[in-house]
Amino acid sequence: MIPIQHFLVLSSILFSLGIYGVLARRSAVLILMSVELMLQAVSINFIAFAVYLAPEEFTGLIFAIFVITVAAAEVGLALAIVLRIYRNKATANVDEVDIMKW
Amino acid sequence: MNLDWSLLAPEYVLAGWAAMLVSVDLFWGRLRKDWLGYLAAAGALASTLTSLIWLNDDTNFANLIEVNNYTTFFRVFFGLIGVFACVASARFVKDRLLHPGEYYALILLTVIGGSYMAAARELLTAYISLELLSFSLYVLTSYAKFDLRSNEGGLKYMLLGAFSSAIFLFGMSLIYGVTRTTQFEGIHEVLTGDTSGFELTLFLGLVLIIAGLGFKVAAVPFHMWTPDAYEGAPLPVTALISAISKAGGFALFLKLFAMAFLPLVDDWRLFLAGLSAATMLLGNLVAIQQHNIKRLLAYSSIGQVGYLLMGIAALSADNADAASALVLHLAGYVISNLAAFVCAIIYFNWTEKDEIADYDGLAERAPFLALALSISLFSLAGMPLFAGFVTKFILFQAAVEEDLLWLASIAVFTSFVSLYYYLVVVKHMYLGEPEEPTRFPTPWVEYAALAVLLIGVFLVGLGPQPLFNAVQDSTAFIFTGAEAAATVGAGP
Repeated sequence: MIPIQHFLVLSSILFSLGIYGVLARRSAVLILMSVELMLQAVSINFIAFAVYLAPEEFTGLIFAIFVITVAAAEVGLALAIVLRIYRNKATANVDEVDIMKW
Repeated sequence: MNLDWSLLAPEYVLAGWAAMLVSVDLFWGRLRKDWLGYLAAAGALASTLTSLIWLNDDTNFANLIEVNNYTTFFRVFFGLIGVFACVASARFVKDRLLHPGEYYALILLTVIGGSYMAAARELLTAYISLELLSFSLYVLTSYAKFDLRSNEGGLKYMLLGAFSSAIFLFGMSLIYGVTRTTQFEGIHEVLTGDTSGFELTLFLGLVLIIAGLGFKVAAVPFHMWTPDAYEGAPLPVTALISAISKAGGFALFLKLFAMAFLPLVDDWRLFLAGLSAATMLLGNLVAIQQHNIKRLLAYSSIGQVGYLLMGIAALSADNADAASALVLHLAGYVISNLAAFVCAIIYFNWTEKDEIADYDGLAERAPFLALALSISLFSLAGMPLFAGFVTKFILFQAAVEEDLLWLASIAVFTSFVSLYYYLVVVKHMYLGEPEEPTRFPTPWVEYAALAVLLIGVFLVGLGPQPLFNAVQDSTAFIFTGAEAAATVGAGP
């Protein structure tokens, strides 16, 4: 059996890539994709922990299913808002959406 | 496992009411749109009354959702916030927004989300209810769909919210990996035992969870979305965000840290105290230079988050004083803040203006409104006689008891700072010259709601004992183990 560390390293890499993407990307759509990457890292974590550490329970697996579901809803909602901005302003770049500043 | 579905009745009422509002709006097009708001308020009130059935009860649904005094307190609290949000929205939404049915339905959904955040006793339920609350607020923030500010506020709120919930989830997955359970009590049990070898994982998990929740409640340095979302959102939605998203966030924050992570208190106390100090200082200092009433209230609410975080930093296993103080201040803050926002909404309905300079001479044109806004701002600043003073006093006292004197001193200092920028608004209202001397027409419904909120401000300010008792009864339930329960009730 593959040791659990492999999964954890994979999920950490995915999570870090996601954070990098959120911070570095300008397009709202790409930021959303990076957030998805972070959520996938979370799912991998939960599934790995559930399978390796608590094989007789389903808590971690159920958690992963909910994470996937909520992520889908989140993207739907976010794309609707991005679409609104695109209609009104013809851009989806977050640094061009800057009417309000502190 | 207890599968008694009736325990969820208040939320069924809300969800059913939300569905009804959407269909009423759809099929009964001739109904006056502001009545829809009052109908929604009736729904929130109905759910509040339903939740009182379980007063002094202690049970749970399938180990997922607790129904005890903590839940009941927050169900009533959020239900009333929903009532005021709907009443305050009625005229605004009728004049300015499309699709009122969905608007009020979403407000009721935020109430469900908030209630379950307080009721959750395990991580997954907490996460889902957090998202229910947040998603509804994302949509509401960008509800004025042809208004670029609203779009922008919604986008920033949404992107940072999604980012923060991913961080929050990763923290939860690490905690799950160490403790192998998602139940708060189970986590507490594991953490009380030997956790050597997992210190780093636990610490990372805690930091990520604090960061995730910090985003939700707008603690510095995770506050960037707050001013923009506040300014962009339609005004009643801003009021709702400032009340329910803060209160829901703190209901969960407090419960999670008191119920699950208390054994690690030495690891996170200083961390949270530092966060609290930074939040108080930045929120209150940046508020000084704001010229828009929404942004002013946004930064002042960030400052208030700092005070509230102090309550979590002062948590201890010995007694529930800090938890009670936090919930009490939360109540005082929400009442005062809602009153301030209702004033801003009334003024916006008259004039479509929300710059502070536009409030010049308000005292001549609408004396009651000027007085009400002054009272609520003084209460937010923590002046005696009003709610803010008592609740802040008890909170600072709780912090001092846990040797956080330095933090309490910063809090007192920033309270004085906050008094300054609140007084600037009062100065404009009473000393400024009005553009024209005519009186504004009296909006009776909004004034009635405002009067109720002001009575609340004075009731809490002059006789806080009933509320304090209710709070103590509720926070007694969030501590795991007998040692805390035994000393609960020994407060001032």
